[in-house]
Amino acid sequence: MGTASHNIATQSKTLPCEMTLENLTEFPEGRRVLTCIQCGTCAGTCPYGELMQYPPRRIIGMLRAGELEKVFTSDSLLECVACYACTAKCPRGIDLTGVLLPLIKEQVLLHLPVMPAELQKALENKLRYGNPMGESPRKRAAWVKTAGVPVRILSEDPRPAEVLWYVECYTSYHPRGQDNARATARLLHALGIDFAILGNEEKCAGECGRLSWERGLYNTLMEYNMLVFAKYQFKMIVTSCPHAYDAFRYRYPIVGFNYRISPVPPFFAQYLPQLKSILKRNLNYTVTYHDSCCLGRHNNLYEEPRALLRAIPGVKLVEMVHNRVNTICCGGGGGGMWLDTYYKTKGIERLSERRVKEAIATGADVLAVACPYEVSRFEDALKVLGHEKKMIVRDITELLAEAIEV
Amino acid sequence: MAESKDIDRNGVQIGVYVCHCGTNIAGTVDVKALTEYAATLPGVTMARNYKYVCSTPGQELIKRDIHELGLNRIVVAACSPCLHEKTFRNVVAEAGLNPYYFQMVNIREHDSWVHTDKRAATEKGKDLIRAAVRRVRLHKPLERKRVSINPAVLIVGGGIAGIHAALTMANAGKHVYLVERDATIGGHMAMFDKTFPTLDCAACILTPKMTAVKSHHNITLWTLSEVTQVDGYVGNYQVTIKHKPRYVIEDACVGCMECIDACVYKQAKVPDEFNMYLGKRKPIYIPFPQAVPQVVVIDRESCIEFKSGKCKKTCVEVCADRKAIDFKQQETTETIEVGTIILATGFFTFDAKRVPYYGYGIYPNVYTGLEVERLINAAGPTNGEVILRDGRKPQRVAIVHCVGSRDENTNRYCSRVCCMYSLKLAHLIKEKTEAEVFNFYIDMRTPGKGFEEFYNRVADEGTHFVRGRVADIYPNPGDGGRLLVCAEDTLMSTVRKIPVDMVVLSTGLEPQADAQDVRRRFHITCSTEGFFLERHPKLAPVNTFTDGVFLAGCCQGPKDIPDTVAQAGAAAAEALALIDIGYIEQEPNTAHVLEEVCSGCKTCIPLCPYQAISFAENKKKAEINEVLCKGCGTCVASCPSGSVQQNLFEDEQIFAEIEGLLAYA
Ligand SMILES: Cc1cc2nc3c(=O)[nH]c(=O)nc-3n(C[C@H](O)[C@H](O)[C@H](O)COP(=O)(O)OP(=O)(O)OC[C@H]3O[C@@H](n4cnc5c(N)ncnc54)[C@H](O)[C@@H]3O)c2cc1C
Ligand code: SF4
Ligand code: SF4
Ligand code: SF4
Ligand code: SF4
Repeated sequence: MGTASHNIATQSKTLPCEMTLENLTEFPEGRRVLTCIQCGTCAGTCPYGELMQYPPRRIIGMLRAGELEKVFTSDSLLECVACYACTAKCPRGIDLTGVLLPLIKEQVLLHLPVMPAELQKALENKLRYGNPMGESPRKRAAWVKTAGVPVRILSEDPRPAEVLWYVECYTSYHPRGQDNARATARLLHALGIDFAILGNEEKCAGECGRLSWERGLYNTLMEYNMLVFAKYQFKMIVTSCPHAYDAFRYRYPIVGFNYRISPVPPFFAQYLPQLKSILKRNLNYTVTYHDSCCLGRHNNLYEEPRALLRAIPGVKLVEMVHNRVNTICCGGGGGGMWLDTYYKTKGIERLSERRVKEAIATGADVLAVACPYEVSRFEDALKVLGHEKKMIVRDITELLAEAIEV
Repeated sequence: MAESKDIDRNGVQIGVYVCHCGTNIAGTVDVKALTEYAATLPGVTMARNYKYVCSTPGQELIKRDIHELGLNRIVVAACSPCLHEKTFRNVVAEAGLNPYYFQMVNIREHDSWVHTDKRAATEKGKDLIRAAVRRVRLHKPLERKRVSINPAVLIVGGGIAGIHAALTMANAGKHVYLVERDATIGGHMAMFDKTFPTLDCAACILTPKMTAVKSHHNITLWTLSEVTQVDGYVGNYQVTIKHKPRYVIEDACVGCMECIDACVYKQAKVPDEFNMYLGKRKPIYIPFPQAVPQVVVIDRESCIEFKSGKCKKTCVEVCADRKAIDFKQQETTETIEVGTIILATGFFTFDAKRVPYYGYGIYPNVYTGLEVERLINAAGPTNGEVILRDGRKPQRVAIVHCVGSRDENTNRYCSRVCCMYSLKLAHLIKEKTEAEVFNFYIDMRTPGKGFEEFYNRVADEGTHFVRGRVADIYPNPGDGGRLLVCAEDTLMSTVRKIPVDMVVLSTGLEPQADAQDVRRRFHITCSTEGFFLERHPKLAPVNTFTDGVFLAGCCQGPKDIPDTVAQAGAAAAEALALIDIGYIEQEPNTAHVLEEVCSGCKTCIPLCPYQAISFAENKKKAEINEVLCKGCGTCVASCPSGSVQQNLFEDEQIFAEIEGLLAYA
């Protein structure tokens, strides 16, 4: 189904941090807005395109006409969930999600009379506690005790490691995220990989702060994390969070980051032959996989997660109507994770609900995901729609771990 | 330090002419200073500047100076030699000198157009002139060689371009070999029912030309054939052609098609290529009723005799005495000699699966434009009815423009014909089904004669136009298989999701999949998009960089039938012009081996891109065929003993030029 390759050039380049709306056209990536043909593909594909007063096409029109002020004073861009759909399909190859929209969003937030409370809180929490939930930084590695396998924490045992596993916030704190963390730890262990984590020294990588544009916060986190990395020796970083992967891959290089980096699914996909020999248990699930925006559209990692799922005995993979480059965002990106209340007050449909309806329509009994935002979002959406009996949500790592336990 | 002016010992008298080219040169370079400087150079008898040296008075000026002042070397400092080297060589020749006693200096493209600092540009101009003056005194008289030209022409590809070029050449009395790789000629045009903008019936205007090709005494038509090798040079090409087996003897088959009825397959079961796989054919078939040649063909993949050797061969029985069917036919090759070649290999339609979010190959009711052309065609799989795969007549149809065109992710160029064929399809679908039709476009491109009027007509018929590029196509939940076509209507600033029964993707035109192989075989080049590259986009649109090889039709870039036919006529005229002179003059800047120095190491032989060098076994020396040599200089640079020299680029001349450039005045 729809596996035709699509050589979409969504992978952003590392962007200079000094780019602003004023000097946009001095950078080649920014200059591309001048080539926009006002075709409306961006608005047409945007999950909230019907609602936005200023979808990307109109923003570019206003920019070229010198009327951006009107865009800043409308809150329409808060509906942008940084899903890369517009960027992926733009026929002029304009990196809207990576370049233009964050700059606009920054201005929109500055012009808001009041910041949406939930978002405000999350950003403050990131700054104070290093995680958006406001959990204690001292409890970040608490889940390790329940992992069932040894998980080395570098501050306690600073020997060099092959793999530095960057667990990230939701995976560390959220109860369902911790399930993912435990599963990942077991898989790493089962594959005999020499890995370690930063434990309580780890803080949020900050990508969503950047995409909802909180420059100061983002820079603080970036500097902090770089100092922590410098303390230890490791060959590569593997992260459970596609958003952190994006931050490391596209933003951190400005501050000298040049470690090898991989998200979890492609990392495990390298070990497919070994995995196949330990994936013994027949799960007997019909699974549909949700391409996360960061992993899929932004990094073209469509096949690795599917290869892992196919390797599990008894898994039948079915596709949703919107898959791969055409996936629909869970609604969590670009700060959307903390705008649910705001959307609700404005009567806007939650994207997680839209997505779950498509998943249900496949007849699958498992919705597989690979981004830690999604588990809780989709489980909640299933509940709201009354489908929680029909379908469960699992991270790919959870399914893999389930299949190695006999 | 200025060089001292002395009278040349060999009696060399040089004239230097600096051109203003209006303000093109004079605006950035001080032409007066250049002239004054040139006059001081050793050997220079006269230096002048003139507004347009290439104009008739400019040319006369040079001639007069040659006669009156006894000049015997001429340097013109003006534009690129690509443009005017020929002009000035002729001037020199008309004044009675050898045309190669001439050197051109490019102070426009290499100087005034690429610099802004007038002082520095003027200094650079001086350096360039000094180099030319130093070199021209060492020039030797050279002669152009003439070789005769073979009047026969090879035309590759039997679409409307190849057909039109073939008939033009044949009517002019030249022998044409028309090589087509399919079983019939006609190309894409044979697949259409009607053609924009006049809605002429495609078959009515095309098939008379196809039959004329078949019956023309000056045309040898080879279908199921391909060119495998091209040797030789302009005027004298040797071309190897491979004939694939048809399993039917062309001369014996009378086209009665009784065999098709008689085939042991009672029902047609094989997906039919000509109908874009929307219909079925038998293993023995004819692509379409008016195919040329009117000869059946057997597909060995599906024929039982080929699969098992145990078929009853009812086809052979019914063919009886005509004995046209021959299962033992083998591939054959033959070599022909021609003087010129016209490439007319056409285009390939974009694979719509490469835009996955349009659902082609996933949703059965998403079609390509070419598929719908076949549905509309009276001889097509549905006998001209526009019906969906499940037999329903669509009530609402979306036509999506720009699929695989104008998109950084696929092709950046505009395919030029798809706006017009989208309008044509809108009209025809409406006429056949009375459906409501929505055309989704970014820009409506209707620049041809009668095209805008056609757009007006289609709008008047009630077709809906939505200005916006389609962003997504997917099934409308709970709407009986209808698809939602989603786009922003940019003129209304609203996102519209329009439910339709049928989607038509107007796919763009791409180079043939094997264009790169063909390019190599014919020693020509491709543009970045992969279409064959013309020698000059404006002034030599049907020529290539290889003399004697011409282009016609969509192999050079997307175009409609009127433009294709015009270009085919132009290619034929260029070929005829070459043939009718009867000979070809060759540039004398060829390489030659200094036999006494050549050590016979053979280094140069494999390097020559034109296979012009051979090894003379008796003398154990390399030998260059002057006629084949294109003067690229590769061998000259490669020879370890420096034994290859090239006319006009002798070591002495090049060194003098370099020294001239580097000798700061
Ligand atoms: C859907 C659609 C509708 C269109 N409708 C119209 C219309 O209504 N009016 C209009 O003016 N234009 C129309 N066009 C454009 C029209 O098709 C082209 O202008 C025309 O077909 C170009 O002719 P051609 O001979 O250059 O190429 P083609 O028609 O592609 O013919 C090329 C021929 O060369 C042969 N060939 C290719 N490679 C080789 C090889 N290596 N050796 C030997 N043979 C080879 C092919 O088999 C083919 O027979 C339409 C195009 C499309 C896609
Ligand atoms: S998709 Fe790209 S070209 Fe089209 S309107 Fe949006 S930004 Fe402009
Ligand atoms: S990134 Fe996604 S949500 Fe934001 S404007 Fe583009 S398509 Fe819409
Ligand atoms: S001709 Fe029209 S449909 Fe075709 S690529 Fe150009 S603008 Fe698009
Ligand atoms: S100059 Fe070029 S073309 Fe001529 S013989 Fe040498 S390599 Fe061949």
